Amino acid sequence: MGSLIMDPTGQTTRVEAEMQLAHRPPSLSGRTVGLLDNGKQNAGRFVEELGKVLAERYGVGSVVLRKKPVATVDAPSELLEELHHAAELVVIGVGDCGSCSAAAVADGIALERLGTPTAVVCTESFKATADAMAVVRGAAGYRYATVEHPMAGLPGDEVRARAEGVADEVVSLLVDAAVRRGAA
Amino acid sequence: MAHGAALDLDPEAAQAAIEHCYEQGWSDGLPLVPATRELVDRFLDQTDRSPDEVIGRMDHLGRTCTVELAAVNAAMAGCLPEYFPVVLAAWEAVMRDRAAKGGGWQSTSGPAPMIIVNGPVRTELGFNSTGGAFGPGFRPNATVARAIGLIVRNAFGIRPHEFDQATQGLPGRFSICFGENEEESPWEPLSVEMGVPEGQSAVSATLLRTCEFVDNRHTTDPEQVLFDFADTIVRTGSLIFRDQSCFVVFGPEHAQLLAKEGFSKADVKDWFIEHCVRSESDLRRVGKDAVGEGGLGGRGPSPEERVSRDTLTPIVPSREQVPIAVTGARNAAMSLVCRVFGTWSNTSCPIERGGRGAMVGGDSGRRR
Repeated sequence: MGSLIMDPTGQTTRVEAEMQLAHRPPSLSGRTVGLLDNGKQNAGRFVEELGKVLAERYGVGSVVLRKKPVATVDAPSELLEELHHAAELVVIGVGDCGSCSAAAVADGIALERLGTPTAVVCTESFKATADAMAVVRGAAGYRYATVEHPMAGLPGDEVRARAEGVADEVVSLLVDAAVRRGAA
Repeated sequence: MAHGAALDLDPEAAQAAIEHCYEQGWSDGLPLVPATRELVDRFLDQTDRSPDEVIGRMDHLGRTCTVELAAVNAAMAGCLPEYFPVVLAAWEAVMRDRAAKGGGWQSTSGPAPMIIVNGPVRTELGFNSTGGAFGPGFRPNATVARAIGLIVRNAFGIRPHEFDQATQGLPGRFSICFGENEEESPWEPLSVEMGVPEGQSAVSATLLRTCEFVDNRHTTDPEQVLFDFADTIVRTGSLIFRDQSCFVVFGPEHAQLLAKEGFSKADVKDWFIEHCVRSESDLRRVGKDAVGEGGLGGRGPSPEERVSRDTLTPIVPSREQVPIAVTGARNAAMSLVCRVFGTWSNTSCPIERGGRGAMVGGDSGRRR
């Protein structure tokens, strides 16, 4: 008579309801965009440059810059609440390490649940961990934008180039109604 | 031809059970012991703590570890039930590391816990604290360290290529656990230095970036020997932050040589604090002369010289940043400089035996 082998994970199978993302506006024109700097090297410069590109090309009205106290874990809920109230849309950058890329996605999903359309930017090296976090937070297939790795250590003009290169993708995440339906 | 065991065993059933564990994704790559309710209960019998007690949380991953989950993973790692109080103390010691509570397990650095066991439990359970203490060959050393790795993998759900984003990881990750060679150390045990009463078994732990050997069988001059350590400690490749911590794990010979010349542990630490320095020009040469932007304490190249090139930066500025332990055989003057990933907690955790383990006391070790 065989006996059961115990499960070392403590997990029971969860059936996730498909997550509905926040309503997207038709365009960014005149909108207030929150920029969440996750504190990684060059992240602040990157989101600021991205904010400028969004203003220049897409008519963003104003930006609100905030910084996470600790990059590697979720942003404090008060900070996300504050951004939710201060901005109509949010951009988060830059997930470029093992834990901070997952944390950036977690913050993005949290803002979506508050009702704020959010675009998370990670470097391409961290897709696996970003995707794994989306599953943990009940938003499997959550879409985010990627830039070339690395971001830390880049000179200013290359940070600007990265921001210019990813701007279209960020905008489509923020305004495209199709994004709401989940994974592409 | 080798003879098969003439016992009433069912190796094919064992193989199938092992394969089942692989298929579930529970394994670290090596075979697991299939844990049954009965086996796990024998682990839980060794402690007074409730199976439901939460002993670790990864809130951002929605995961917790309970005493029971730790027992399942310890059983799967190949521990004997009587090791379980050591696993619990080791887990607590590891989780006292700030990095272990945050994103450390997910880090590109791929840090490895280093677990140090003190006190009578070493001989009672058979922990190796002499020759080859860093492994392999000793069940308690190998399986207690492995249990910690399995808890991270299974209870926290942090697996390679998913939440574990180690760039290369560490050689020996989740296998570093040794007893301090208290018998041949000239200094007080690490646990006693950390305030645990003498004779009380305890575990200390920290997360490491790597271990590097210092082989100096060339001189008996204590300062020459210490300068050889200092050269490794100040290596620029390992410098990320403004300063760092190095756990110096002396072989008994180096430790005894220093003690014979009058160096206490504190003296050795103070010597390192004074002599482990790096000049600004050395740091600039490798692009690590400036504290980087971003406020994470990272070093990045500064466009301009901020201070004069002969300014000296201390690498291990405080005693807490150069903890010392002694392990290995007294057969050659070799030691290890172990690089701390984050911040050493500067504490030791007493091993608390409860339940049936407390009743049988020291007898438990004889069952091996």
